[in-house]
Amino acid sequence: MGRTTMSARRVLGAATAVALALGASACGSGSGSDAKAAGSFSYWSMWRADEPQAQVLKAAIADYTSATGAKVNVTWAGRDIAKKIGPAIAANQAPDLWDESDDKVYGTTAAAGQALDLSPVLQLQVPEENVPVSQVIPAKYFDMLPKDPSGSNHYVIPYEVVTNAMFYNAADPAVAAAMPTPPTDWAGLLKVCDALKAAGKACIASEGEDPWTNGLFFDYLLNGAGVNVAELSADRSGAAWDNPAVLTAAQQAEQLVKGGHLIPGYDATKFPAQETNWTAGKAAFYMDGSYVTAEIAKQIPAGWKTASILPPTAKAPDAGLFGFAIPKRAKNAAAAQKFIAFFLQKKHLSGISTTALNITPRADIPAPAELADVQKTLEAPTLRLGFDGVGGSWLPKVLNENYLDFWHGKITAAQFVAKCKADQVTYWQTEG
Amino acid sequence: MATTIESPPRTDAARGRSGRAVRAGVGPLERQRHRVFWPFTAPALVAYAVLFIAPVCYALWTSLYRWDGMGEMDWRGLQNYTLLFRDPRFRTSLFNTLDIMVIGGTITFVLSFALTLVLREMRARLFARSVLFFPSLVNGMVFGIAAGFLFSPTGPVNQALELFGVTTPPKWLSTDNLLPMVLGTLVWTATGYYTSIIMAAVDQIPDYLYEAAELDGAGPFQRFRHITLPCAWDVIAVCAVLWTVSSVKIFELILLYGGSTNAYPPVSSWNTAVYVYSEAFPQGTVPRLGTATAAATVSLAMVTLITVVLRRLLRREPIEY
Amino acid sequence: MRRTNRAAGLASRIGTAAVWLVVAADLLLVLWILLTSLRSGPDILQHGFGLPTSPKADNYTTALDAGGFARAALNSVLTAGLSSVVAVALAAPCAYALARRRSRTSSALTMTFAMGLGVPGQVLVVPLFVGLSRVDLTDSDLGLGLVYVGLAMPFTVFLLTGFFSGIPGVLEEAAVLDGAGPVRTFVQVVLPVARGGLVTAFLLQFITSWNETLFALVLTNSQGATTLPVALSSFVAAQQFNGLDFGTMFAGVCIILAPMIALFSWMGSRIIQGMTVGIGK
Repeated sequence: MGRTTMSARRVLGAATAVALALGASACGSGSGSDAKAAGSFSYWSMWRADEPQAQVLKAAIADYTSATGAKVNVTWAGRDIAKKIGPAIAANQAPDLWDESDDKVYGTTAAAGQALDLSPVLQLQVPEENVPVSQVIPAKYFDMLPKDPSGSNHYVIPYEVVTNAMFYNAADPAVAAAMPTPPTDWAGLLKVCDALKAAGKACIASEGEDPWTNGLFFDYLLNGAGVNVAELSADRSGAAWDNPAVLTAAQQAEQLVKGGHLIPGYDATKFPAQETNWTAGKAAFYMDGSYVTAEIAKQIPAGWKTASILPPTAKAPDAGLFGFAIPKRAKNAAAAQKFIAFFLQKKHLSGISTTALNITPRADIPAPAELADVQKTLEAPTLRLGFDGVGGSWLPKVLNENYLDFWHGKITAAQFVAKCKADQVTYWQTEG
Repeated sequence: MATTIESPPRTDAARGRSGRAVRAGVGPLERQRHRVFWPFTAPALVAYAVLFIAPVCYALWTSLYRWDGMGEMDWRGLQNYTLLFRDPRFRTSLFNTLDIMVIGGTITFVLSFALTLVLREMRARLFARSVLFFPSLVNGMVFGIAAGFLFSPTGPVNQALELFGVTTPPKWLSTDNLLPMVLGTLVWTATGYYTSIIMAAVDQIPDYLYEAAELDGAGPFQRFRHITLPCAWDVIAVCAVLWTVSSVKIFELILLYGGSTNAYPPVSSWNTAVYVYSEAFPQGTVPRLGTATAAATVSLAMVTLITVVLRRLLRREPIEY
Repeated sequence: MRRTNRAAGLASRIGTAAVWLVVAADLLLVLWILLTSLRSGPDILQHGFGLPTSPKADNYTTALDAGGFARAALNSVLTAGLSSVVAVALAAPCAYALARRRSRTSSALTMTFAMGLGVPGQVLVVPLFVGLSRVDLTDSDLGLGLVYVGLAMPFTVFLLTGFFSGIPGVLEEAAVLDGAGPVRTFVQVVLPVARGGLVTAFLLQFITSWNETLFALVLTNSQGATTLPVALSSFVAAQQFNGLDFGTMFAGVCIILAPMIALFSWMGSRIIQGMTVGIGK
């Protein structure tokens, strides 16, 4: 017995020695990359080089380099960046600048106090426009964000904003006939669905496997009933689920399921099968982020006209941001901040609308034609995050699985609420 | 024929393999071997120690801490492990891993034996074997992508079933059916793989054994039981261990089968590999490396235990022919 | 007696039919992927099955160029190829020594390597990431290749030990009597005989590394360093927010598959044969 512990210790010792050796050689190679052109910095992008957002950023970067002489070392990392930024920070390999959606920036870095407070960027001048950044990016986009441990909510500076809504083809006569005017209450929406059903068209195309987009119906219903999802999730006892308004919201969502308003076969396909069915006119509405117009741009039939409504109960549209963030351990943070202000110039940021077909945070840049409606809803004085910005892994660990069972009609609204309550209690126990 | 892995050193000399009758410690050859032993093994050992054993030890050590990978490491002792077993997602992952290993393994090996029987008597068997082997060379992600098309409600699988009069086919891609679908794909790829290996071993069994058995009036099943199985036993035993080990590593198949966008697949289809990945590289939250490595350690312990038991069960006296 | 024979005959006929059915399904799947890679994206989404009306080879040019598959293919060839060569070069002498020398140390070492077979990759992911980033080897093909060498050790040593055990020692005895040194004996006498095993070990390792996804996903991120599986995975991930061109994606799938198909139709039997020999001894 004594022998095994001895050898175990020896192995551990050897492992530590190796780790130390690795660590020591790292210190040798870590510094020394700073001695490049002043103002240079590294940037990891959430976009792949072939995506339109990357084209816009590339053009801006080229312009930045020719204007300032500073080099930008770009890595077009793609969406996996959200999984890699944490380990990279841990290893002191973090870039000076990166971008992602607000929830990922918060979850992976800001929540752990690893994101730089970008308030100083708001005071920087936007080049050639003689106004500070704070004047072109409305404060409401920051006000809706959760605060990091130091109390800041300026850890991400948006260059693209999205909102989630029910999108439809305004040029589709069947939809126009069923919905002469947008419904003003939940019953009105069900009436539209009934009319569509009578006309032989499914009301809602739903990717049955995706808890996020389908959950948005529940989210908007809760919002209408005055329930804040973030507060709901934070209750360690789970008692918040006993609020009758929660059950009512679930029952309303259930009416879509039980009423046969979801496209047949929705629970037996994989994304993007139902998005495709929707663009082929097999269903009227599709709940998604406003980036959906870019997603479907290549496959919509001629004459298609995108329009959107919010689920009629919504008190405020939700919003999401895609923007720049800087890790606290960044070596060239000042240079990266300068570039953020540079990119927010109208001439560069417009590309997000014209090339990438999305909405920018600047009110003076018109959205692409299909998203004109959506841009209007974003003019609301206050905005909220989808699911009220609920943090941590509450969505995957408590809500998603149960919601899918519910959305597939396997459990009733009451069972769904009871299961979420139980799982939330377990969640907080294991989260400790 | 003895597996080199387990045979204790002394018995080997006694077994007296052909052409290796050299007594230990005598003769220039043996002395030479003694001299080059360390120089020959050292490079591989170093690579193995640095790139394999050291990381495993580091993982064991990390599993005792709470660590987000960026900040300080907090000592937690065995608390990560107790939390792990209280997490219903981990229990699901663990059971799924066992499901895949046991159920998938049983089906795979039953099918492999059946196929070996069939292929033995078949024409164009080498061609058939090659095609059957091929899926194991295909990246698991490809199956995930193809399944979305093949098994869609209006896809070719359902159309084919309709020809046979099945009008209400199962909802292949519903979240409930994810694990069975993953299992099915696995069985399909693994069966070809193990059939090929077992068949190649069976091919080395001399024909006269079969001829003799036939003269004694043994049917095909008896021949399989009394000749094929015992003669190919070494290979089969190693295959069983390989399956156990590789079934735990399945990862990209599950990841892309269920998680079509950037989201993870539903927990009901997770195995421990996906669990570890989701804790270490979560979507939009801080990594929990302590829990991740603890989960990895648990699956390591499980595999080690099962492998040891399996080897005990499958050990047999080698047969010479 | 007769009835059992007839029953067995029927069973084997059903079995044969089943085998051909599966064989046909496998071939059809590959054919479908090939055909689909020649069709346009929207067309594929509307009808998953169909012949390419106007074959589009530009799916391939898009995939190779804009999709980054060309660079990824190069990275894959380099990492998978070099790491497999290095792995076999390291493992071969080690396996030979282990197979030939019978001592307590030798069997303990064999056991140590074999135990590595049972370590799931997920155990190594986090430590390797942390370790490699300390020495500045993340997001580099060199780092990924090193990891593949390490991962290859248990199986390659295991397989080759089996292989060398099967080679009669007579040849070496003759060589030693001729006065050849140990290295010369190994290189000039043993290796040529074991060539089949070495090739098998190399090919198996190459195939594994070519398809390896978990470590590639974690350890590389820039489009200059990613291998094919990562290129495919990140291409698929980009469907969110910007839509996915399924034609290009299927072209990408074909780029991953093609070398496997070629390799296998060329060396298939050899791989299977070699594996069985290595495993069985």
